[in-house]
Amino acid sequence: MSDAMIEETAARIFADHVDRALLERFEKGEWPARLWGLAVDNGLTMALAGEDAGGIGATWHDAYPILRGIGYWQVPLPLAETMIGALLLSAAGRAVPDGPIALVEEGEALALAGSGEAVRLSGTARRVPWARHCAHAVAVVGGQLVLANLADPATVRLTQRESPAREPDDEVAFDGARVLAAAANPFPDLAAPVRTLAAVAKSAMMAGALEWLLEQCVQYASDRVQFGRPIGKNQAIQQSIALMAGDAGAARMAALVACADAPDTAARACPAALFSAAAAKIRAGEAATRAASIAHQVHGAIGFTYEHQLNYATRRLWTWREASGSDAWWAERLGRAVIEARAAGFWPSMTRRQFAAMPSTMEH
Amino acid sequence: MQALRIDPCTLSPECEALRAEVRAFLAEAMADVPPQKRVRSWAGASPAFSRKLGARGWIGMTWPTRYGGRERSALERYVVMEELLAAGAPVAAHWIAERQSALLLMRLSPEVLAPRIVPGIARGETYFCIGMSEPDSGSDLASVRTRAVRTDAGWVINGRKVWTSGAHRAHYMIALVRTGTAGEQRHAGLSQFLVDMKTPGLTVRPIVNQVGEHDFNEVTFDDVLVPHDCLVGTEGEGWSQVSAELAFERSGPERYLSSTELLLQMIDAADPADARQAVAIGRISANYAALRQMSLGVSGMLARGENPAQAAALVKDQGALVEQAMPDIAHDLFGGAAAPGSALAHALAYTTLAVPSFSLRGGTREILRGIIARGLGLR
Repeated sequence: MSDAMIEETAARIFADHVDRALLERFEKGEWPARLWGLAVDNGLTMALAGEDAGGIGATWHDAYPILRGIGYWQVPLPLAETMIGALLLSAAGRAVPDGPIALVEEGEALALAGSGEAVRLSGTARRVPWARHCAHAVAVVGGQLVLANLADPATVRLTQRESPAREPDDEVAFDGARVLAAAANPFPDLAAPVRTLAAVAKSAMMAGALEWLLEQCVQYASDRVQFGRPIGKNQAIQQSIALMAGDAGAARMAALVACADAPDTAARACPAALFSAAAAKIRAGEAATRAASIAHQVHGAIGFTYEHQLNYATRRLWTWREASGSDAWWAERLGRAVIEARAAGFWPSMTRRQFAAMPSTMEH
Repeated sequence: MQALRIDPCTLSPECEALRAEVRAFLAEAMADVPPQKRVRSWAGASPAFSRKLGARGWIGMTWPTRYGGRERSALERYVVMEELLAAGAPVAAHWIAERQSALLLMRLSPEVLAPRIVPGIARGETYFCIGMSEPDSGSDLASVRTRAVRTDAGWVINGRKVWTSGAHRAHYMIALVRTGTAGEQRHAGLSQFLVDMKTPGLTVRPIVNQVGEHDFNEVTFDDVLVPHDCLVGTEGEGWSQVSAELAFERSGPERYLSSTELLLQMIDAADPADARQAVAIGRISANYAALRQMSLGVSGMLARGENPAQAAALVKDQGALVEQAMPDIAHDLFGGAAAPGSALAHALAYTTLAVPSFSLRGGTREILRGIIARGLGLR
């Protein structure tokens, strides 16, 4: 499937099937099974997975429109998570299971025990988006990529929580959960590969949500009449929305570069992936903070209602700016590496998109 | 909104090879330049440095060889520019001439003025200033009152330009003046002239800025006679010519890198174990990464022959925010704690005083956001 076809397919499915009624049913707790089926049937969940594993083998660059689309159309599915899980498994030469896959980005006392067929996972992950809908979770524990069984209540205790986006954000306690497959981390030069790839995906999703927000603001400012003219004719409104356009543009650029730098096969070296992921997640987070505030100000009271579509995008932006490492979380790790490089190393590292100390600053 | 969209641009291996060459050159040429000078960024002028760059073929790299150019790509030029700026090189002498004046002359007077003047620009010997603003005409550029009247001997210019950066070392000015009446269209009746700064009747008076430096000038025209062939482009078309020129004026990486020396001093003063310092520096670095790619993307648009006017306004607006936040962040982290007389203390003091101009020069923040709003369809 070419990148244009991926973009068309994603846009068609999302535009035709993600509507207000579906989002409201989702927020009342209904799993959008038909939408998920369409994503699966059209190959979106397996876009990044290698062809050997039954995937499309698309690059992150090619898959960007899917991720962006999740934000632009506010698609209520663990699609990015499943794409990343499938990529990690297929890059490690492991089979990809059917159904949605959750990602365990970090946890407390996560550890493997046993060997061979009987490897078991223990520990607690406080925030695992979508866990309740997933029979499988992917994690990297002690340098090992593992596929864990989430579906056994005897070994996996799930505490259901929700993000501000009203998407599942569950706590998962593993107590000897079965590991269905294990392999060496397929991207060894990527520190914290699950967290890092999730951050790349979130950045692209946020860029999409920001684009929608900007279009929505322009539309509303052009339609809404006060004092006898559209409010968008006021310079104060124009200047605010123009600032937002800059933020949306910067976030989009950073996300596109993060996708271009992210690894799509185990064979491809990805020296710039970590830096570009950090830059993208930080920039998207800052953009979300500023843009959400402006968007609500432009919309006035109607934008503060549940009924208006605006909050479906802003609630996602506020959720995603926290998820997969907040902007401050990434900035601390990037900043430490920048300081380690000293002034003399700053610019050469910027143009290489690689700060030598960054893998180690990810560890604490 | 399409005009605001900037796509990523990948630099070729040739560009990276050129980067290595420029770095080697700068390591030598900048070896004795202290941080106290680098902090001036592209406001620092050194004709000797400009001539050295010219000799390397790094001024007007993209221009035709008949004008002294090297016919290299816009992206190669971008690499040279960003390396110069990141190093705090003193490029001010030739910067304006290279960035916009030469382009104007090559486009609008390819046979007369360009062959005469542009090769000197490429050698780093000929410098320009821009005569746009006037005492009563800042953001409202169409209200300029300096007037040129046609006579048999040439055009006679009377009036006053102000905030003219580098006029005291420039050999020429491109002046935007009124040659006709505004009429219904406020932007009508404007024309551009090439003015030799040594012409009798032209006076340059320094205006010292709040940093304490002489960059600005007031330029007075008192019956300044300009030859007929120094009308640049078409009489009455000055406004559209200037609009194209401003796109170039706003499109470069100097619009986000101006506070780099202060960032470098902060990095050297920072402690990697200090989370507050790390977060602040990490955020700036992420913004640099995004701005660099956007700025590069604008160069990609230039390389493809697209009009980057709106995209450039967007990058300049975002860039100035980061440049201007730098002294406030440095103040937050190190204010009052930097050793007196240290490079950090100096960079902080200098940059604090300098940054208010960054969202004024080359189009104010408000004008830029107006351009962006137009791109969004709001105006």
